[in-house]
Amino acid sequence: MRQSNFRSTQLSRRDLLARLGGVGLAGLLGASPWKAMAATIVELPFVNGRRELVTNFPQKGAMLLQRTRPPLLETPFDVFGDGVFTPNDRFYVRWHLANIPTTIDPATFRLEIHGHVRQPISLTLDELVDKFEPHEIAAVNQCSGNSRGFFNPRVPGGEWANGAMGNALWKGVRLKDVLDRAGVKTGALQVRFNGLDTGVTPQTPDFMKSLAIDHARDGEVMIAYAMNGEPLPLLNGFPVRLVVPGWYATYWVKMLNDIEVLSAPDDNFWTAKAYLIPDTPFANVVPGQQGVKMIPINRMLPRSFFTNVKDGAVLKVGQSTPVRGIAFGGDTALAQVLFSPDAGIQWQEARLGPDHGKYSFRQWEVPMRLASRGAHKLMVKAINTAGSAQPEHANWNAAGFMRNVIESVSVQGV
Amino acid sequence: MNTSRRNIAPIRVVPVLLGIALAAGLAWPRTTDSQPAAEKRTSGPGQRWSKVSVALPTSENRFPPGEGSQITGQCLICHSAGMVLRQPPLTLDEWVGEINKMRNAFGAPLPADQVDTLAKYLYTINGRHSSGGSTTVDGQGS
Repeated sequence: MRQSNFRSTQLSRRDLLARLGGVGLAGLLGASPWKAMAATIVELPFVNGRRELVTNFPQKGAMLLQRTRPPLLETPFDVFGDGVFTPNDRFYVRWHLANIPTTIDPATFRLEIHGHVRQPISLTLDELVDKFEPHEIAAVNQCSGNSRGFFNPRVPGGEWANGAMGNALWKGVRLKDVLDRAGVKTGALQVRFNGLDTGVTPQTPDFMKSLAIDHARDGEVMIAYAMNGEPLPLLNGFPVRLVVPGWYATYWVKMLNDIEVLSAPDDNFWTAKAYLIPDTPFANVVPGQQGVKMIPINRMLPRSFFTNVKDGAVLKVGQSTPVRGIAFGGDTALAQVLFSPDAGIQWQEARLGPDHGKYSFRQWEVPMRLASRGAHKLMVKAINTAGSAQPEHANWNAAGFMRNVIESVSVQGV
Repeated sequence: MNTSRRNIAPIRVVPVLLGIALAAGLAWPRTTDSQPAAEKRTSGPGQRWSKVSVALPTSENRFPPGEGSQITGQCLICHSAGMVLRQPPLTLDEWVGEINKMRNAFGAPLPADQVDTLAKYLYTINGRHSSGGSTTVDGQGS
């Protein structure tokens, strides 16, 4: 599919020089609220948002440190301006449990498929690669709690800004094909996924997630052994992880080694009691609201972001400036990205960049010319092909899940 | 993935700087679709898997001194201190809620009679007065 659209990442010396030459002009839009306090400190724009930019995690470049153990590493937002595919070494990291294997030996690794099947199977990595048809998809992986730090009132949890997401070209095998090999028996209800990570105490529930059997067999859910053409970084789930296009990342089980077909509803903690959302539009409730029906988090919502203009930027009146960013449709394709130069009074349709599939990030761009001096509030809104649009008001729920409010930046015309 | 393999990977995409975009008008940045690298080892039959061994860093974050700080050793069994220190300021009730989530859902070996002391300590180092809605039941499970 999209493979033919990719160009090499090799850059000529001229390209490099040209880009370096852009530094001076980049200063025009300077004044970022993400102030660099020192070389390695970033101030995220919310209370207690000071974060260290660290480079000491294996197979990872500079990442914002949310927690060392188990690791929570946020992608610095500037990375999203570099292209619609998030490099593996900048892809965010989120683990629940601290016993994470630090050595994976492909010679002994096995993926077990068992439970309500005719024939339990145990696959080596080579068998997974050689004995099933390869499948590829570009898909956004987004933490349920991405952007939690912006919730108002604040809620406890991983205090992310907008960088707990990433887009990759995933390659692997369809889960359906693997399940068919084992032979799902009549009466199967769900499929439960477990990875190699475990809790430190025996009382800590093992991290497992389940999908309905029909979802698991839809031909889109897959077991990925490659990410952007390379093996997955260990912290992103080496050697294989589940990919659930359009659904929040809690289902994308890392270091996947156990697949169990269930004939009764999964009652394990992580499926039945954690990652629940209010069953309301945008998972939105009033703080303190009681008695709301809670359901497992599921499909993603559309989102869009600015990547080349930041809050506080100073722009010249009358000068045309390309404003751009990234967007995605959530659980279905992006239909439109709308840009407003005047705080939402007028909206214009942005031009969309190359389409890498309905679950991928896509670039958007509009030419903008500020008409007057003073403050201007720019906004961007994504609408997907199911008609779901980013809301004007931010949602709120006690878990800090599913934020997808219209994004805005304030700029100054001079 | 071992170090030598990473070293042979193509040059990483460098950030596209705005200057280029301005200079180039509305052209798409040239690197927009550059990614992923060539299909190397993962292109199906014939793939060779290598053993991966990494070391994860340890945290240097410490809880500040104060009455009750000795109990925080229980927190560190499962997670580093930074997770707690990077929380938004929480009310006393919210800290109690977080501590009890750790005890009840995740099996933190913290005796019930130490909950109040720990909550007061956390409230002292990172608290806010109660106003507005309660957020004690977060349901997010981590």
